[in-house]
Amino acid sequence: MVCESFTEFALHRARRLDLEIRIVACDTSSATLSVRGQDDLVDAFEMACSLGPYDCIILDIERATA
Amino acid sequence: MKLNEGWVPVGLSSSIEPGTSTGTTIEGSEIVVWRDNSGHAHAWEDRCPHRGMRLSFGFVRGNHIACLYHGWQYDTAGQCRYIPAHPTLDVPQTIKVPIYRVKEKYGIIWTTTAEDVAIPEAEATEITPVRSLYVDRPIDDVFTAFMAAGMTSLHTNAGKVVRGDDVLFVAFQATAAAKTAAHIAIFGSAAVYRGAKQKHYAQWAEGLRFELEAAQGEAEVA
Repeated sequence: MVCESFTEFALHRARRLDLEIRIVACDTSSATLSVRGQDDLVDAFEMACSLGPYDCIILDIERATA
Repeated sequence: MKLNEGWVPVGLSSSIEPGTSTGTTIEGSEIVVWRDNSGHAHAWEDRCPHRGMRLSFGFVRGNHIACLYHGWQYDTAGQCRYIPAHPTLDVPQTIKVPIYRVKEKYGIIWTTTAEDVAIPEAEATEITPVRSLYVDRPIDDVFTAFMAAGMTSLHTNAGKVVRGDDVLFVAFQATAAAKTAAHIAIFGSAAVYRGAKQKHYAQWAEGLRFELEAAQGEAEVA
């Protein structure tokens, strides 16, 4: 995974979906993000992340509620 | 002329009826032109913020335009108002389509992102639309061909052609680097010009296009 590309993608999508976002961690194999907003929009954000930017292959997403 | 430099003609007013949409391009940038049921024309970036589908493929629903793909609906300010998969969702203000300024003058829809720019001036009280002519040649070549056919320049992208007692208004749109649309109208009442005169000037313009494209073909063969 290209960390810079993925975080830029995630920040853009979160901004569009009006979600608060914090990048907790990111490296070449995983990223941890914290987002807050309407449930449906968090679902949409998860869907967007599952697709990811063109230069990242997303294999799995784990989601936890704070 | 680019969208940020001045008013760009994007179609004849008569070609976009209330409740319909169409797509066009300005120097390659994709634009949706649509008319709401109140009769107001709109020109926006032709891209749904959801999945990038062209909004010009969508449907006008009252004063909203709905994306063909997932039905997201946008109001006349470009703001998303309704997402069918989430009918109770309070749609955030961040889901919005970039919109452009629009005016209708001389029977033509014009759009721009620029402030303080003027639409070419011409004396006209009534308008009869003729046709939009799409030519596979750069805008400078098409403009020059109309000048050679007797057009007087009114602006960098518009001119007036006097033929006998008839006055035509022609506005030019660079749809791509080597493609041009010429939107043609007659200054005068539809009661006088509808029918035979419209056909006559449509054929005259098509003749110009044939000459332009044939000249290009000859140049390519040579």
